[in-house]
Amino acid sequence: MPLLQIQKMTHYFGGLRAVYDYNLAMETGQVCGLIGPNGAGKTTIFNLITGIYRATEGKIFLEGSELNGLAPHEIAARGLGRTFQNLLLWRHMTVLEHVKMARYSKISYGLFGAFFGTAQRHREEAAIEAKALGLLGMMGIKHCADQVVVNLPYGVQRRVEMARALAMDPKILFLDEPTAGMNPEELAQMMEIIRQVRDELGLAIFLIEHRMKVVMELCEHIQTLVFGEVIAEGTPNEIQNNPKVIEAYLGKEAVE
Amino acid sequence: MAVFLQNLINALQWGSFYALIALGYSMVYSILMLFNFAHGDIFMVGAYIGFGVSTALVALTAMGAFALPNWLILVLTILFSMFLTSFVGMIVERVGYRPLRDAPRASAAITGLMIGIILETGNLALLGAQRISFPPLIRTATYDLGGVYVTNKKIMIVVVSLGLALALHQFIRRTRWGMAIRAMAFDYVVVPLMGVPLNKMAALTFGLGSALAAAAGILFGVAYPVLDPYMGILIGWKAFVAAILGGRGSILGATLAGFLMGFIEIFVAMVFPSTLRDLIAYSIILLILVFRPHGFFGEPYSARLRL
Amino acid sequence: MQATSDKRWFKRLGRSFSQVPLLGWLLGALVAVALEQIGGLSLAWAVGLPKIPVLFGFLMALKKPLLVPSALLYVVLIYVLPIGVIARVSASPLNRLAGKLFSSSLVISVVIHLGLLYATLHVWAGISDYRLLVLKLALIAILLTLSLNVVNGYMGEFSCSHPGFMALGAYGASICTVVLFVDDKLFGSALLPAAIGPFFFPLALILGGLLAAVGALAVAIPSFRTRGDYLAIISLAFMFIVKSMIENLEIVGGPRGLSSQPDWANLPTVFLWTVAGIWIINNFVRSTIGKALNAVRDNEMAADAMTVNTRRTKFIAFCFAAFWAGIAGGLFAHVLRYVNPSTFGIQKLAEVLAMVYFGGLNSVYGSIVGALGISLLGEALRPLEIFKWIIIPLLLILVMIYRPTGLIAFREFDVVKLLQSKQHSEKGV
Repeated sequence: MPLLQIQKMTHYFGGLRAVYDYNLAMETGQVCGLIGPNGAGKTTIFNLITGIYRATEGKIFLEGSELNGLAPHEIAARGLGRTFQNLLLWRHMTVLEHVKMARYSKISYGLFGAFFGTAQRHREEAAIEAKALGLLGMMGIKHCADQVVVNLPYGVQRRVEMARALAMDPKILFLDEPTAGMNPEELAQMMEIIRQVRDELGLAIFLIEHRMKVVMELCEHIQTLVFGEVIAEGTPNEIQNNPKVIEAYLGKEAVE
Repeated sequence: MAVFLQNLINALQWGSFYALIALGYSMVYSILMLFNFAHGDIFMVGAYIGFGVSTALVALTAMGAFALPNWLILVLTILFSMFLTSFVGMIVERVGYRPLRDAPRASAAITGLMIGIILETGNLALLGAQRISFPPLIRTATYDLGGVYVTNKKIMIVVVSLGLALALHQFIRRTRWGMAIRAMAFDYVVVPLMGVPLNKMAALTFGLGSALAAAAGILFGVAYPVLDPYMGILIGWKAFVAAILGGRGSILGATLAGFLMGFIEIFVAMVFPSTLRDLIAYSIILLILVFRPHGFFGEPYSARLRL
Repeated sequence: MQATSDKRWFKRLGRSFSQVPLLGWLLGALVAVALEQIGGLSLAWAVGLPKIPVLFGFLMALKKPLLVPSALLYVVLIYVLPIGVIARVSASPLNRLAGKLFSSSLVISVVIHLGLLYATLHVWAGISDYRLLVLKLALIAILLTLSLNVVNGYMGEFSCSHPGFMALGAYGASICTVVLFVDDKLFGSALLPAAIGPFFFPLALILGGLLAAVGALAVAIPSFRTRGDYLAIISLAFMFIVKSMIENLEIVGGPRGLSSQPDWANLPTVFLWTVAGIWIINNFVRSTIGKALNAVRDNEMAADAMTVNTRRTKFIAFCFAAFWAGIAGGLFAHVLRYVNPSTFGIQKLAEVLAMVYFGGLNSVYGSIVGALGISLLGEALRPLEIFKWIIIPLLLILVMIYRPTGLIAFREFDVVKLLQSKQHSEKGV
């Protein structure tokens, strides 16, 4: 049984068909990539899987149990962590608070603990903080822990998002254009972090990316999406030489 | 049936007040994404300015400075007061809203509330606590239409407010400024970048809204001649609710929702004891907002508060 | 030259006082109010005042401007000087004591600090009934402001329903106590002996708070689907509905109101409830569950994606805030021993909103400062009568223009930092 399985997922916005007959099977430890021109529906697929939109048709299974119909926070708590294309951070919160927040569903001290500051709460909060600091250390941004996110440079904000997604112990990490807007140096660092996450944390990674370099180097399996349909999938090599992909990216003449 | 029609006329009259005031809320919102919470008090100020202007005109006529018929005094009062009150609105914008353009919206809401309190108290301090009576400019004439009694005042109120709403509609449809207002209602972030002067637009909408509120104030004074500094609070809040029900930046929506508000109130009072009026009216509004959260017309209001 | 040396002197004074622990300030304040109790009146006569100035001379200064120098002298002699001297002199032994207390047990340290604070307030309020009333109302205002801050500051919704919650709490608690313990016209004779009343009082308050929390469902449930302006209107409608419902309930007195509440809201009770409220609310907003409020405010979609149950969070925030507003309402009703529905209208709303936004959003300090500031200012400016309602709004507009989120916004209230010995800063310097 695959870790994540998606069968025949189709989605309409009103009359507009955004995603058609999308299938996916992923295993732990795998890195998959989703590429395609702007507006092809890549982020829509992420939003469908993570429950922000409800798929019109199709089924999504995580380790055999169905995710359809669950609320986004429930799906996330099952182990689907994600980052966002346009950085959705909480502007008045510190870096550490961001990472701690992702442990929300794992907190067991409850309202009573929150109101009365029980010993259990202090233990749990301390454990969460230690874990969060560990992740920040892994991302190399531990020194920013007490800063408010809006004051930080873009590259650091991306890493905060990544640390936050990792703090929820995801089984699969969804990265929506993790290197968008980065300079070459930040890019290299981010790729290193992605590799490190894959090797050390033992999870599957599914990423949307525009930079071919990143996709080709990181991913084992790549899907190409055009107008909501997967037109080609396979290893980086297969994709690079697939005429349909070249056509979608470069136009018809390039193929001929 | 006669009772129903009688109440319908009352509802139309109250709806006129609400509609005129709601238009002011709605227009300011479409430009600044903010509500002018002092608007109810601008209505009050408008009524007082109307009182001042009409008293002066009546006195001048009595002294023989010129001979004006009463209806002309009323028309002049409305026009003059609209003009003067529009400056009050612009001052409110300049003092209370422009400095807070980039601040959280809630902060601007607070300044609006505070300006409202200042207007009320300032009025109280200037004119004292005694209630002021609006000069009776037109004698009430009652027409009997088969058991339904209609007064000339009520007809005038409804006609004048509908006329003003229509004039505003034409202004928004046909003029360059109106086009800018429509564009801003559509996208208030990008349009100022296209060369539409935000400050002028804000002043314009505050001015227009305040002028309409002044007209509402005078019409209110004609129907219920006793003025007091707190008269704007309740009517202002109700019109505010109507503006929300109407939807963002919609002239038609705000007008219709204003009348809807009048209908709800009057008919609730018709069926139930009048003490239950607010309770039931607000319960209906609560239900409408829960089940139809984005009003009836126009774009939905912002779902997010900037902080 | 003169100016620079003045400045340096000022700085040195500031630095030497920065090492005074909270314990020192509290002790100084206690001594000051004790001095006032003993010799206040004679000093007042000596400097030419007719009686002890009740609110630091503000009222007197506004009524009779000629007495300003005397009032100032009185304030300096009774408050500023003793507090300053004692705080400075006792700084180093008290620092050691504070450090020892702090390291031995936080609970004991907190209790001692609160004990000192209460003693100070008690002695201060002992001078006149007026002071006592102002103090009680100010403490209740803190509770109310803080509870509104939970929704408007921490969760970032513009809720206008707080007077409604307060009314529910006030009426809920009043009905309990009046029905059970008081012989009155509305409800007939008492059902239980009044002797056990004071013990029952917290239960009545909690019942009122729970009633308010249940009422909050009317706002919390729509908040799942709508935010911002629409929710503001829904909460406003809720406030009007509560008010007019009470006006129409003849059984609780209708528009005439409900009176003859027993006199159980004495200073210790109000003080304890306020402290408990601050403690619990502060605990909550500093926990990760409480921080979820901030996450929902700043970006709901991200909160959802990070496993935060946003519905639960909103539900908790509204009901929790309403509960404390209800408690504040219950205390309010028993302090004044009379409530009527028109108390809980737009005016009250403007007042509470002013306190929250004046003090600062997302901040316990802010709420304390806002509530104390506005309520004391309101009292101090009373001699100006109507002009008071021009000055306070103007002040608030200025605060909004220059600090749009309030005076002390986004600051954490850290009890540990507050109680620590301030000695370590000496080493740092």
